[in-house]
Amino acid sequence: MYSHLMAVIFIMSISAGFSTGAIASNPPDPPHIHHHPQAAETTTSEVGLEEQLGQKIPLDLSFVDEQGKSVTLQELVTGPTIIAPVYYQCPNVCNFLQAGLARVLPQLKLTPLEQYRVLSISFDETETPQLAESSKRNYFAAIGREYPPDAWRFLTGDLHNILRLTDSVGYHFQRQGEDFIHPVAIFVVSGDGTIVRYLHGTSFLPMDLSLALIEASKGRIGATIRKMATFCFSYDPQKKTYVFNLLRVAATVTIVTAAAFLTFLIVTGKKRRQG
Amino acid sequence: MTQETTDPGSRGFLADGGKYPGLLGWIFSTDHKRIGLLYLYAVLSFFLVGVALGLIIRLELIAPGETIMSAQAYNALFTVHGVIMIFLFIIPGIPAIFGNIFLPIHIGANDVSFPRLNLFSWWLYMIAALIILASLFTGGGPPDTGWTFYVPFSAETTTNVPMAVFGVFILGFSSILTGINFVTTVHRLRAPGVNWGRLPLFIWSLYATAWVQILATPMLAITLVLLLAERLLGAGLFDPASGGDPIMFQHLFWIYSHPAVYIMILPGMGIVTEIIPVFARKPVFGYWAIAFSSIGIAAAGSLVWGHHMFVSGMSDMAVLVFSLLTFIVAIPSAIKVFNWVATLYKGSISLDPPMLFALSFIFLFCIGGLTGLILGSAATDVHVHDTAFVVGHFHYVMFGGTGFAFFGGLHYWLPKICGRMYNKRIATIAWGIMFAGFNILYFSMMILGLRGMPRRYYDYLPEYTDLNLVSTVGSWILAAGLLLMFVNLLRGARSGPPAGANPWGGLTLEWTLSSPPQAENFVNIPVVEHGPYDYDKVSPP
Repeated sequence: MYSHLMAVIFIMSISAGFSTGAIASNPPDPPHIHHHPQAAETTTSEVGLEEQLGQKIPLDLSFVDEQGKSVTLQELVTGPTIIAPVYYQCPNVCNFLQAGLARVLPQLKLTPLEQYRVLSISFDETETPQLAESSKRNYFAAIGREYPPDAWRFLTGDLHNILRLTDSVGYHFQRQGEDFIHPVAIFVVSGDGTIVRYLHGTSFLPMDLSLALIEASKGRIGATIRKMATFCFSYDPQKKTYVFNLLRVAATVTIVTAAAFLTFLIVTGKKRRQG
Repeated sequence: MTQETTDPGSRGFLADGGKYPGLLGWIFSTDHKRIGLLYLYAVLSFFLVGVALGLIIRLELIAPGETIMSAQAYNALFTVHGVIMIFLFIIPGIPAIFGNIFLPIHIGANDVSFPRLNLFSWWLYMIAALIILASLFTGGGPPDTGWTFYVPFSAETTTNVPMAVFGVFILGFSSILTGINFVTTVHRLRAPGVNWGRLPLFIWSLYATAWVQILATPMLAITLVLLLAERLLGAGLFDPASGGDPIMFQHLFWIYSHPAVYIMILPGMGIVTEIIPVFARKPVFGYWAIAFSSIGIAAAGSLVWGHHMFVSGMSDMAVLVFSLLTFIVAIPSAIKVFNWVATLYKGSISLDPPMLFALSFIFLFCIGGLTGLILGSAATDVHVHDTAFVVGHFHYVMFGGTGFAFFGGLHYWLPKICGRMYNKRIATIAWGIMFAGFNILYFSMMILGLRGMPRRYYDYLPEYTDLNLVSTVGSWILAAGLLLMFVNLLRGARSGPPAGANPWGGLTLEWTLSSPPQAENFVNIPVVEHGPYDYDKVSPP
C-alpha cells in the first residue's frame, strides 16, 4: 500500500541538549550526514562534526568575497557571527540550510550588521566569487525584504584557508567527485572567534539562533541544545514484513486473549460462594 | 445492613496482620487493604521525589542561562521527573491504592479474585521501581531522553536507557496483572443485589481503566522490547540506514502511552463522581451516561495516539482522522462534566475538603481538556508543539485533574482507612494554597508557550524571564500547600479524633463498615437493596 516511499527526508529533532562535558565523553557524532546518491557506498567514517565549543577559530584566514575582493576573517568577525559551511553548487542540503537561514534571519529581533553578521563560506576550493554572488542574490531574494547586504557575506577561498577553518571547528567533510559528504550544521562565534554554539540541521528556530547570538555577545559558551539527526532515506515497508508480522501477531494474540477472557467471565458469571 | 462488628476503638486490618508479625505481615499480606496501603506508601514516596525534581527544574528556569545546573543535568532531571511521575505515581496511583482498598468493599466482596496475584503485582511494582531508581546511579548516568524514550536518540545515547526501559517493562506487567484482577473481581465477586446498575461509578471507571491496561500495556512491552533489541542487538528496526523506520517507534509508543493518559485520568474522574453526590446529598445525575462515558473515553481514547505526531511526518489524511477522533474524546469527557454540574444543581452542598478538591478538579480539568483541543487540532498544534504550552496543558490534566482527584480521594477515604479525622480547617487552607500555587505555576507556562518558549530547554531568551519567575514562585507556593496538606493528613492519621464509621454520610458499602475496616471486610456478605447514590430513597447509615 505505501510502496516505495522513496527518498523521504525525515528530520527528527530531539530536543535534547548536551553539556560541553558530556560531549567530550560521547562517541563521535552520530550521522548528521547527508548522503548523496553516488556517495552512498564510500566510507564516511572520517566525515562528521566534532564539536569544539569554547575553542577559537583563526581570524587571520583570508577569503574572497562575492565581489572578488580579498577579506580576512578579522575584518568580518567583529561581533557575534553566524558561520555556515556550505558549497554553492550543492544539489540539495546546503540549499535547504541556506534557505533555512534566509527564513529565520528576518525573524530575529536583533539588528543585522550591528548586533550580528552571517558568513556563508564555501568549502569547495574550486568555487568562484561569481557563484557566491549568484547564491547571494538568490537568498537575498528569498529573504524578501530589506536586509543590509554587508550583514550576510558569501565567501570562497583556497583549500589551505578552508581546511584551517573547518579543522578548527571540527567540521570534517569529504569530496566525492563533484560533490561532498558533509555534516549539516552552522555555528556561531563571538567577536574574538570563540565558538559558542553549534546548530544542527537545515531549519533553525529564531529562539535558538537568538540565544546563540546573545551568548556570543556576552562571551558565554552555550550547549548544543537542539541536536538534529538528519537522514535521507528510502523506506519500503513491504520489504520489512517481519517487523510488521511480529506486531500483527502480537496485536492479534493480545486482542484474542482479551476477548476470550471477557467471554469466559461473562459465560461463567458470578462465582458461587462457599459458606 | 450496617455491620459494625468490631468495637469502635479497634484498629481493624491495621492491627490484624494474619500469618506473619510486624513488617512481614505487611509485605507478605494478601489482604487487599494492606496491599493498597503498601502501594500508598511507595507511590507517595516516589511522588515526593518527583515533586523535589520538579522544584529543581523550576529553580533552574528561574532566570535565563545556566542557573544551577548544566544542560545535561537538566535533561536527566526532566527525564527522571517524567518517568517517576508517569510510571511510578500517576499510572498506578489511584487504581493500585484506592482501587485495591475499595473495589472489593464497594461490590461487597472480601477480597479481589486473585489475592496472591495482587501481592505479586505489588512486588513487581517495587522491583521495577528499584530498577528504575538504580538506573539513575549506575551505567552511563541517568537517562536523558525524556520519558518518551524516542528513537533514534534513545538508541544512541550513552546514558543508562536500557535499565530504565527494562524497569518500565516490568512495571507494565504489574499494571496488566492488576487490570486482570480487577476485571475478574468486578465480574465474579459482586455481592447479591449489586447488579451492573448498582456499581458505584468509581468501580465503573476502574473497570474501564482495567480494560485499557489489559489491551494497551502489552503494546508498551513490545515497544520496549524492540527498543532494547535496537540498542543491544542493533536490530535496525528504527534505523533508516538498515531499512527501519524511526516514526514506527513513535506510533508504537503512543499506541500505549496515549491510552495510558486515560488510565491516569479515568480513576480520578471515578473518585470525583463518588465525592460529588455525597457532598451534594443528591443522587448522581445521569448514572448510565457517566458509566458509559467511562467506557467511551476508554474506547475512543485508544484510537487517538497520532495526535502526538502531527509534526513528525504523517499523511494529511492520517492527521485529519486523528484530529477528528481527538475531538470525539471530548464528548464523553464533557458528558461527565455536565453530569457533575447537574448533580450539584439544587443539591445541599457542603464544602468539606474532599468536595473542594473535587470541585477544583472540574475547574482544572476543564482548562486542561479545552487546551487539549487546541493541541488536538492540527493547525494550532503546529504552532504550540513542543512548547511550554504542552507542559502546562499536560499538568492541568494530570496534576490538576488526576492529582487533585487523588488528594480528594485521600481526604475522602483516609478517615475510613485510619479511623481518624484530620483537621478540616488546615486541610481547607492547604487546598487553597495548592490551588493558587498550581494556577500560578502552570498558567504562566501556557502563556509562555503561546509566546514561543520551547519545552525541555534549560535556557531561554531574556523576554521570557518575567513569567518564568512567576511560574517558579508558583511552584514554591504549590510545594508549601503540598507540605501543609501532607503534614495535616499524617497528623490526622496518627492522632486525630476518631472519625466514626460514616463521617461524610456516604451510601456506598465502605461506610457500613467500621473505620478502619476489619481484616475480613464483611462477616456476612451483604445483600444490597439500593443504589450507591439513592439519597432520595434512603438516608445514610
